[in-house]
Amino acid sequence: MQQKFKRNFDELKNIVTMTESVFCELGLQPELRNVVDLATEELFVNMVTYNTETKEDILIEMLPHAFGLEVRLTDYDVERFDPTSAGSVNVDAPLDERTPGGLGLYLVIKMVDSIHYEYRNRQSKITFIVDRKQPDV
Amino acid sequence: MFEIVLQDDGIVAVEGRLDAAQAVKAQTFLDQVEGQCVLDLGKLEYVSSAGLGVLLKTHKRLMGAGSGIKLINVSNHIHDIFRYSGFDKLFEIVPAGH
Repeated sequence: MQQKFKRNFDELKNIVTMTESVFCELGLQPELRNVVDLATEELFVNMVTYNTETKEDILIEMLPHAFGLEVRLTDYDVERFDPTSAGSVNVDAPLDERTPGGLGLYLVIKMVDSIHYEYRNRQSKITFIVDRKQPDV
Repeated sequence: MFEIVLQDDGIVAVEGRLDAAQAVKAQTFLDQVEGQCVLDLGKLEYVSSAGLGVLLKTHKRLMGAGSGIKLINVSNHIHDIFRYSGFDKLFEIVPAGH
């Protein structure tokens, strides 16, 4: 399934609706939902927030992968930004040293099974996989 | 859907999905809170980094005034997010069922 979304946080509810449909259609384990939702939101929000030079919609594709899901987000007519090289966050820092920024991409990289970035013809494509290691028994 | 309300017992109940689209609503509500704040997350289905940022900002403000946020009825999957974020070391957290 694939769908394009406006560059607006209000689209998050429509992305959730798409994800619900895909999970239902593919019969995926509900336990995977939170990681898929989190990674998709964080990457979408990152594109909307930082790729401000384009007005193009963002394409999201969701495909079956083994016992889980492969999700691709493509942003058009943008500069290169590789979220997989985002700086790390010190999650052990005390409260007075913690700031809200940077946590989203850190969580994505920690929680998905794999993530890949590709930049070609001014298109940024981020692909991540959330999987279970074995099927239902 | 996202709701945040102050209950009669003084506990703030949070319900639904706290994502980037709802973070402003949550922050606006929590900016009004003074003193010790107990957040009941029993009906919170989902939280992203935008929601975590709201909790962190509010906790830092309240801690600066000598109080803070206590999180109760935290489900396993929400607790996982707190753990990955290091929030389990910053907040007093009471898991669901305790």
